[in-house]
Amino acid sequence: MWITVSLRILTFVCSLVIGVMPLFSQARGYRAPRIDGKPDLSGIWQALATANWDLEDHSAQAGPFFQLGAVGAIPPGQGVVEGNEIPYQPWAGEKKQKNMENRWKLDPELKCYMPGVPRATYMPFPFQIIQSQRDILMVYEFASANRVINLGKPQEASTDTWMGTSNGHWEGETLVIDVTGLNGLAWLDRAGNFMSDAAHVVERFTRVSPDRMLYEATIEDPKVFTRPWKISLPLYRRTEKNVQLLDFKCVEFSEELIYGEFKKQPK
Amino acid sequence: MMKCWRVHLCMAVIIAALVPAVMLAQQAPVKSYTPPKTPWGDPDLQGMWPSTDMLGVPLQRPDNLGERAFLTDEEYAQREAQAQRTAAADREDFVKPDAKAGINPPSHWAERGRPQRQASLIVDPPNGKMPPLTAEAQRREEARAAASKTRGPHDSWEDHPFYDRCISRGILGSIIPHIYNNGVQIIQQPGYVAVRYEMIHETRIIPLDGRPHAGSSIRSYMGDARGHWEGNTLVVETTNFLGDRNGIGVNGVGTPYSASLRVIERLTRMDSTTLNYEATIDDPKTWTRPWKIFMPLKSDPDYQLLEYACHEGNYALADILSGARAAEKADEEAAKKQSK
Repeated sequence: MWITVSLRILTFVCSLVIGVMPLFSQARGYRAPRIDGKPDLSGIWQALATANWDLEDHSAQAGPFFQLGAVGAIPPGQGVVEGNEIPYQPWAGEKKQKNMENRWKLDPELKCYMPGVPRATYMPFPFQIIQSQRDILMVYEFASANRVINLGKPQEASTDTWMGTSNGHWEGETLVIDVTGLNGLAWLDRAGNFMSDAAHVVERFTRVSPDRMLYEATIEDPKVFTRPWKISLPLYRRTEKNVQLLDFKCVEFSEELIYGEFKKQPK
Repeated sequence: MMKCWRVHLCMAVIIAALVPAVMLAQQAPVKSYTPPKTPWGDPDLQGMWPSTDMLGVPLQRPDNLGERAFLTDEEYAQREAQAQRTAAADREDFVKPDAKAGINPPSHWAERGRPQRQASLIVDPPNGKMPPLTAEAQRREEARAAASKTRGPHDSWEDHPFYDRCISRGILGSIIPHIYNNGVQIIQQPGYVAVRYEMIHETRIIPLDGRPHAGSSIRSYMGDARGHWEGNTLVVETTNFLGDRNGIGVNGVGTPYSASLRVIERLTRMDSTTLNYEATIDDPKTWTRPWKIFMPLKSDPDYQLLEYACHEGNYALADILSGARAAEKADEEAAKKQSK
């Protein structure tokens, strides 16, 4: 009993700390244009960092298929994790290593599964924010994934899902989204970083200039990590003339991989 | 004479009174309704508009109804009685011992429509049926039928429709109601309307800024949509489809349309709970004339559009294919035994 209570207190203190942190980083001075009085986050955005390859620092490496030469190689990148270390519990650190070793088999991205949150935000594909006076819709080009951020009375997740249940509110210039009900099946990157169905993600979207938005996500998961940890990276607006999201229905590109062994072989 | 004149006047008055009434009835708004506006001044179509209520209205009109667009009172009463029988079956906790139980889920699994007087979803041509195929489309169909005779039904995932494969049902297949998950949600912002469809989790983002369509070599299942307002009606023109894949019907089954397909949709709020949806389907390479689907969609603010992780949970396709291979193997072994 006292463990539960003290865990609750710890969680509360953590969330207080996390809640206060942005106050220090708030004074960026940029005031976004408005939709119905709220900062206008709408538009087509994309991350340029290599976070989808690995949230932590990583060097360039050969890819799994020599036939693809330089095209199939892995680009280097600086990590997006504050402190550059994901605080895994010992068992989870081992699992992450195993994931990494088997990443060309196990990463759900290979099978065109929905990328989950926060990964959807830094996939190497654009996503579009549609912002009404009531709801905010995020549509991701990858796998047609999408989610609606509820800005009304917070709703409990009715079931666990890939993209989770998102409740949002405004804190000044920042859209704060509380994500629960994640099913824990999505990975965080191609390096095997992961979380569980106990994960609780708090995202913060803040426009810092006309074409740039800061994305922050704090991840808390008592089953996997020793403490909450945070990623932050900029998102850039796609500004090409008449730019639009296109269809990337990758299911078709994953069927041979998933069902190939069950195909009738010519005699 | 006097009497006659009076009759004529009377008739004229009646006709003068009736003509506008009839015209109004045909053109829809009986009394004018002004839809709410978004803060930026567009008609506000936002909300949950599941097509579930129209479940039970067939796409094509049954032969016996001919050119009648609506059911008679008697036919409607039959539909209501049928709905009551279905509802009673849905309330059963167990399948009756004498019922033929198949592999389908229990009756209460499915969502039900509300009895409608509308005779078919197709409202034009007047017989409520898809127009005849063009000669070219007939040749395509024959070629498809011939090709399928050289294969088994489950040789590959490619022998299954795009719905079974969780790829796409196309824009009409995504709104024509099916047994469940008929959620349709509209969200707007200045310059855009977005439509979310629950099953296979697809979203159409419709720009309203008058920009041209994407280049003709950019093709997709859901096409390239452009919208504009005509009064309080949202008019959406969609082109750039991938041809020779989905058809127009429940879940996108049916004769596949060609890449020349052009769909014009018109969405109009009629009153606080009704959004009229009309789609004109024009594909001169497939059908001999354009045709039209009509559905009044009903607002359901409590509808929860849940994540439909179709592909992620698609055990059926793997099971069907592996089952087919196992059956073939069993047949081969049985044949070997017999020949010994």
